[in-house]
Amino acid sequence: MKTPSATRTTFDYRAPEDLDGLADALGTARGAVSVLGGGTMLVPDISHGTAQPDTVVDLARTGLSGLRRADGEVVVGAMTTYRDLLTTAPAPVPLLRRLAAGVTGGPQIRNRGTVGGSAAFANPSSDVPAALLALRARMRLLSPDGVREVPASDFYTGPFATVRRDDEALIEITLPDPGAASFGYVKFKLSVGSWPIVTATAVAESGGGLRVAVGGAGRVPVAVMLTEPADPADPEWLAHIRERVESELDSVGTWTDELAEGTYRRRIAGTIAARSVAALRGDDERR
Amino acid sequence: MTASTPAAGIGASTRRRDGAALLTGRARYVDDYRPHGLHYAAVVRSTVAHGRIRSVDVSGAETAPGVVLVLTGEQAARHAGPIPYFISPATRGGREVDIRCLEPELVTYVGQPVAAVVARSRVEAQSAAAAVRVEYDSLPHVLDADTALLPDSPRVYPDWQDNVVFAKTYGAGDAEEALHGADVVVSGEFRIARSTTAPVEPRGYVASWDATDEALTVHGSCQNPHQLRYMLSASLGLAESAIRVVTAKIGGSFGLKMQGLPEETLVCLLSMLSRRPVKWIEDRRESLMSGAREQIHRIRVGAKADGTITGLVNRIVADAGAMTAQAGWAMCNMSASTFPSGYRVPDCRVELRLVATNKPPLSAARGFGKDAAHFVMERAVDLVARRLALDPGEVRRRNFIRAGEFPYRTATGLNIDSGDFAGLLDKAQAAIDYPAVRELQRRRREQGRPLGVGIAFELTPESSDSPGTFVSGFDTTTVRMSLTGRVTVLTGVTSPGGGNDTGIAQIVGAELGVPVEWIDVVQGDTDRCPTGFGNFSGRSMVVGGGSAALAARDVRATLRTVGARLLERDPEACEVVDGTVRSVSEPDCAVPVPEVAHAVLTRAFAAAAEVEPVLESTRAYKPGNIDHRPDELGRIQPYPTYSSCLHIAVVEVDAETGKVDVVDYAMAHDCGTMINPDLVEGQAWGAITMGIGSALTEQLVFDAGGRLVSDRFKSYLLPRAGDVPEFRLEHQVTPSPFTMHGNKGAGEAGVGGAQAAVANAVEDALAPVGACVRSLPLTPPVVLDLIEEATR
Repeated sequence: MKTPSATRTTFDYRAPEDLDGLADALGTARGAVSVLGGGTMLVPDISHGTAQPDTVVDLARTGLSGLRRADGEVVVGAMTTYRDLLTTAPAPVPLLRRLAAGVTGGPQIRNRGTVGGSAAFANPSSDVPAALLALRARMRLLSPDGVREVPASDFYTGPFATVRRDDEALIEITLPDPGAASFGYVKFKLSVGSWPIVTATAVAESGGGLRVAVGGAGRVPVAVMLTEPADPADPEWLAHIRERVESELDSVGTWTDELAEGTYRRRIAGTIAARSVAALRGDDERR
Repeated sequence: MTASTPAAGIGASTRRRDGAALLTGRARYVDDYRPHGLHYAAVVRSTVAHGRIRSVDVSGAETAPGVVLVLTGEQAARHAGPIPYFISPATRGGREVDIRCLEPELVTYVGQPVAAVVARSRVEAQSAAAAVRVEYDSLPHVLDADTALLPDSPRVYPDWQDNVVFAKTYGAGDAEEALHGADVVVSGEFRIARSTTAPVEPRGYVASWDATDEALTVHGSCQNPHQLRYMLSASLGLAESAIRVVTAKIGGSFGLKMQGLPEETLVCLLSMLSRRPVKWIEDRRESLMSGAREQIHRIRVGAKADGTITGLVNRIVADAGAMTAQAGWAMCNMSASTFPSGYRVPDCRVELRLVATNKPPLSAARGFGKDAAHFVMERAVDLVARRLALDPGEVRRRNFIRAGEFPYRTATGLNIDSGDFAGLLDKAQAAIDYPAVRELQRRRREQGRPLGVGIAFELTPESSDSPGTFVSGFDTTTVRMSLTGRVTVLTGVTSPGGGNDTGIAQIVGAELGVPVEWIDVVQGDTDRCPTGFGNFSGRSMVVGGGSAALAARDVRATLRTVGARLLERDPEACEVVDGTVRSVSEPDCAVPVPEVAHAVLTRAFAAAAEVEPVLESTRAYKPGNIDHRPDELGRIQPYPTYSSCLHIAVVEVDAETGKVDVVDYAMAHDCGTMINPDLVEGQAWGAITMGIGSALTEQLVFDAGGRLVSDRFKSYLLPRAGDVPEFRLEHQVTPSPFTMHGNKGAGEAGVGGAQAAVANAVEDALAPVGACVRSLPLTPPVVLDLIEEATR
């Protein structure tokens, strides 16, 4: 197929039509492979010359779109778009619907951007990775050798880096506790057009326990288990959650880009985490 | 606007003439011009902040697919001379260097054009440009203006003795003595970070060289077509008459598209050398390199115990980046001379130093330096109020020039034409319900939620004139009526997107006595329009409107004389109204204007025997109040009009994250007579939003090597609709005695006032902890630092 004319370099383009075809494409691809989801990141990067793949494997025709229930779990196809999350009713994963509602960039981004794409791109500033950590997601990776599953907590190895090999594609994300008794989600941005600086997702797990995942602040998303506070405004508890979050961030390293230094993200991470817990409890939710 | 507003005439919010074309995508921008055989240019830019070019290897580019021409700086210098400065620093006692379309020797910033490629397609041009190999002998670079002033700093231009481009002291009286005698002296160092204008449409040019006729046609997204023609004539060695410049529809400019930038000459040269039409459209990364402002002010202000300001000393260090032939470097003059704004402070001294650094140059930007003066002056007034525990509104009221004192000469020599600054404060405070918002603030503080109110006054000198430069205080318009009564207005002013063509049509319609629907307005074509100066300094409605009115009156006089003859009435007893010439006393005794026009042009020896049979006039309009004769202190007065406005911002500060939300906003604005209030408001909305953006989120960030890292809209954060509240706009009209319609510049006012109001509001919100705002932008990390520093 002809390379799109807006790019400076040429590459092979593969658009397999099922999972067998995908495995074959991944196995036979030439050179450096980029897997294309909705294209909201990869296409601009190719246009700007910052990504120069030899082969692009497009998931568009693989049928990996949509959410389905299986054994009490929900399986999210990698090509499920933000718009799919917003329009599927009733929402099988309320947290993801909430997350999709806060994605800026207009209809183009919501129509094109995919859960799998965001999950696999591993941008520390994206909303999706930390939410998947909060939901204890399992990432299903397909390669010519078959399928393997990796917990979200092991999936992320660094900024824009995951355990996914070059001959693998993220095909599905399994959420064991999709309804999670209740959740609180807070996203902090510098302005409407800004990438998220810190996101926090608090989940009251069905089996009991409070799980809080923080994105944006660290080189990879982090999650902590806490006991539910009697009063989420209690200064002692606030100090506790702050300490737990900061300690996790220190172990993975903070994330710095041109929008905000890691030191700033670390400073507010505990606050945003605490706000997600307050939001979970229906308390005053700010920003 | 209310339903009773008339649809036409001066003061009506007539709909934009190009509104339908803009909304339906039919407006033609420069990128829409695709002449037959069009090729595309790409620019190879310096990858080092400072260095000498050792070699340029074009072999890879020359053999790349689709390439027809690769040009180095050395080759370009054989065909094109230096680009003339829009405003020459040397003639003002400063330094300048030759600016070339492609730099052949010494690069002074990352991004400076050093080579260029022409190819069949944009992609091929960009691929080939990437294959050009340039080697540099790197030199030490300096990115910060304070550092650039140190004796051991690297020199941006090695043959200069230091990095100072321009230095001047402004003011009158004895400021130090005034401070000495003051009850209190407040001081502060204020830093304004580099931001930019970011119009929706970046710059772009299509140059078509006709080798047979040896003629050059340039379509460009630019503000000043006649200046561009002159500059191209000078740099390319062509007769001006061989060049036609046409400004396409412009998708915003804000000063960025004033002339003097290397690519203007470059694209034309590429067309001449390749003998093909060549297009270059700037991409966003290139567009974001242009700085709008970056300054440090160290100010001391003395006041009496009652809040009367007695003296002001300010030392300004302005960061020019590298040198440019564009007008951007000159903005710092206005930063200095706009002090002490609309306040009666007779003893002032403002010392300005403009300093070169190894960053991309400044380009002119809405506010043109005045914004910095407003941010700093309004911060200083608030510091006085805070020190004396006085209401900031009352301190302003005490110091404002009184409504009866105009024209008023300020310490820096500006002669403010008119105004009612206390009246603006009344209107803005009423709009925001000042007592109620202070009460809200009190209650929020009890809840531990910081809410602040910031007041800022803004004085906007407009329609400037600078002798011997392209900054002209007058302009010229031709009004021409055809045989059928159709009117063509050819004007020397251009519209960067604000819609002054609609305002000019309103003026011509009112003066000529014909419906605006009969009127076509032609702008921005050097072959059709009279010599003019385009758009800058809020001038277009003052001088474009004034000259259009004069020309329209000439045509009207002929219509009236001949119409009266057709009606067999005395011309003195007739008028031109609603497209007819009629008797004043007998309105039914009337003849349609098209019939009169027909008579003038076909019955020259009968009905029109007593007039010169021409329905056309070209007139220039020079407003009053400009005086270039230096006074005893050497001060000149380059501005006819001074718009004024007063801003009140209400902000909430999230004390845990430092995030500032602007929750309410009022601006009372006075640009004298409003020709079209909707267009005035449109400009005000944009300018306030621009001010809020540069006050809170917009910042061009460079890495240690001088490379711009905030090079897209995910890293350079413009405000979006959700970041600003609905503004409460109020108007006050104090007509200028020095302009034809009493109007003053509108369109620039808003940036500095908004920056200052937001900054003052943030400090007011944090007053309980005692934080002091000293810099822009007030990003969340900066605000959180302020809070921590104050509570430490």
